[in-house]
Amino acid sequence: MSKLHISAAPHINSGVSTHNIMLDVVIAMIPASIMSVVLFGLKALWIILTCVASAVLSEFLFNLIAKKKQTVGDCSAIVTGLLLALNLSTNVELWQCVFGSVFAIVVVKGFFGGIGKNIVNPAIAARVLMLLTFASVAGGAAITPLFDLSFLGDAVPEIAAGATPLSHLNAGVEAAAEAPTLLQLLVGAHGGAIGETCAIALIIGFVYLVARKVIKWYVPVSFIATVFVCYLVMNGDVTYALAQILAGGLMLGAIFMATDYVTTPTGNLGRVVFCIGAGLLTFAIRQFGQYPEGVSIAILAMNLLTPFIADWTKKKTLGGIK
Amino acid sequence: MIFKKNISSLHVPHNKHTAGCVPVKIDTPKEVILPMNMHMGGHAEPIVNVGDHVRVGQLIAREEGRFSSPVHATVSGTVVEIFTMPTADGKGTKAIRIESDGLMEKDENLKPASFTNADEFLQAVRESGVVGLGGAAFPTWAKFNEMRNEEYTVDTVLVNAAECEPYITSDHRMMIDHPELIVKGVEYLREGMIEYLKNAKFKICIEKNKPDAIEAMKEAFKNHDYVEIQELKTIYPQGAKQVMLYNATGRVAIAGKRFPYFHAIIINVSSIAKMAEYLMTGMPLVERIVTVDGPAIKTPMNLIAPIGTKISELLKITGTKGEIGKVVVGGPMNGNAICSVDDPIVKVSNAVLAFDEKSAVLPEPTECIRCGKCADKCPVGIDVCSVDFAYNQKNEDKRAKLLIDTGVRQCVDCGCCSYVCPAHRPLLAINQDAKWWLKQYAKAQQEKEGGNK
Repeated sequence: MSKLHISAAPHINSGVSTHNIMLDVVIAMIPASIMSVVLFGLKALWIILTCVASAVLSEFLFNLIAKKKQTVGDCSAIVTGLLLALNLSTNVELWQCVFGSVFAIVVVKGFFGGIGKNIVNPAIAARVLMLLTFASVAGGAAITPLFDLSFLGDAVPEIAAGATPLSHLNAGVEAAAEAPTLLQLLVGAHGGAIGETCAIALIIGFVYLVARKVIKWYVPVSFIATVFVCYLVMNGDVTYALAQILAGGLMLGAIFMATDYVTTPTGNLGRVVFCIGAGLLTFAIRQFGQYPEGVSIAILAMNLLTPFIADWTKKKTLGGIK
Repeated sequence: MIFKKNISSLHVPHNKHTAGCVPVKIDTPKEVILPMNMHMGGHAEPIVNVGDHVRVGQLIAREEGRFSSPVHATVSGTVVEIFTMPTADGKGTKAIRIESDGLMEKDENLKPASFTNADEFLQAVRESGVVGLGGAAFPTWAKFNEMRNEEYTVDTVLVNAAECEPYITSDHRMMIDHPELIVKGVEYLREGMIEYLKNAKFKICIEKNKPDAIEAMKEAFKNHDYVEIQELKTIYPQGAKQVMLYNATGRVAIAGKRFPYFHAIIINVSSIAKMAEYLMTGMPLVERIVTVDGPAIKTPMNLIAPIGTKISELLKITGTKGEIGKVVVGGPMNGNAICSVDDPIVKVSNAVLAFDEKSAVLPEPTECIRCGKCADKCPVGIDVCSVDFAYNQKNEDKRAKLLIDTGVRQCVDCGCCSYVCPAHRPLLAINQDAKWWLKQYAKAQQEKEGGNK
């Protein structure tokens, strides 16, 4: 018998690893990615490929140059790249995609110490930077479907307008008549960032993540519910409030960005508080701000508050004596 | 309590392959090695010399220190060596090697113990060499002795039969095969400590994944109005004493306080049975049921082996498949990996698990991604992810303050945190280090204050 291995207990583990979790998140984003290509054509595919490739490559090179342990294998760079891509509109140039990915991986993540150490979500930070630098990123580009979508009938708006549904919605309940119907919002054949428009695809991803126990269902739901309740209280119109939560980047942000482990509080109560805060900020920005869209900025702001929320919402240890 | 918060817990794969295996007595081993540290407290002191002939059940090492437990010969034969055996803490312990003559002659002086009061009862339990067989190895008499205080009355005796760790079925088999011993043990305990346990309720706590054991216990105790069979959810770590106290009585254990403070004591079901065996026959703790299982075992079995039997002997009986990468004594969540299969089984060895090369090596730890699974699954809600950060503080006062804030002193050593960690960080080990350091720090602090006065 050869030499026996010695290690501290426990000697078994759950089989869950960082790599598995990141892979699950990637899988959950696949429906949205497919829909983005269907709705926005091959340009969307190029955006996704560019973002993912440059994110992975910059992670690899950063670790190499900084002489750090290689962490490309944990797939977190793929998540960042893909998430950033889904948040961009087809107005973006491919070199801008590279710029955003490199900024996300090197500056936001790498400089702060790599995976697990970043203060804000890399994809969101990059998106906001791009929003401020290249305004074209935010403006919703009109859809350019891969194939004729007319078989969907009423689910597709007749005029493929460049403006995002939010710009109609934010003008008030009266102007909302020009916005797509709820069914159209679910299918997502309207202007916007490539991954945010198809709510059905995002909800499929959400169900997958919950089923795989990567996230708790009530975390994204609390974000979306907060926005919904705010609009309902403000206008008393259920259809309008529903349109608000289906339009824009709310679903994408709530499901994939507000549930990022690293940049949200570690406790589930803390995460709910985080999401309620982000929901309130989103509502405030959409309602009173200059930008039509506030999700990413709201999440970015809440990211900075994460340590404090985590502290306030700390679970009490059973029998703990202070 | 109307609203009782559920304790966080895990569902680990049970792998109780041996639940149906009737324990088989092994052939007398050629030699046994009996370490003197098979219990918590002071190491026992050998009272035999090399060359002495000993018989089964004969006292070969006496108690030493404030609380301790005696050691008895587990085979008949000759003492061939008294040597220093290395231990994990580096201090080493004496050990007695007995070469068996294969006869298994019983010591003729053994006779059933009788008692009329608590003093005599405790003395008898002391002489039985019984310790907490669930894993803590706390001398059983010392545990009973804690009831004898002025301040707290014990109103609940928890008999721990949860056996929440995967693989192990030795307590389970004890309940199926020897319910009479458990009944006797409970009766003896109540009788012996009647001044303290007059109004106490006995609760046999069994996880629901052992319906046959629950049935057997219900049948055995049907005429005992002071005994209740408590069915507990099948979760890990149901058998951790703090968790069981909470789930069975709703009381919350506080670190640093002994159990009678919560008006309860908790004792392993096999310890109760072994104690009864001694009181009835005079045979002290010399053999036990060991579950031999694991991915590298050919036929998982329950074996009855003399304490001190080499692990290699047990593995020979069950057979192994493939290359063995790791051997663990105890459960997979809480057991110890051993260096050599020539180590003996000791009083608390309820299982021997062999892992193949593939499952022996755990993945390398990576950076924490702050997923919070560790804190989420912690039964007592320790802020596990902050312990590492707090423990690495340079300033000792700050380190102590931050560590106390995380609640790490309440850690029950269950290992749920390490089990779920996706970054495979050795969280349990860090918690244990931190806990140990905090104790040292508190001690030093006390001394400092004493000195200033």
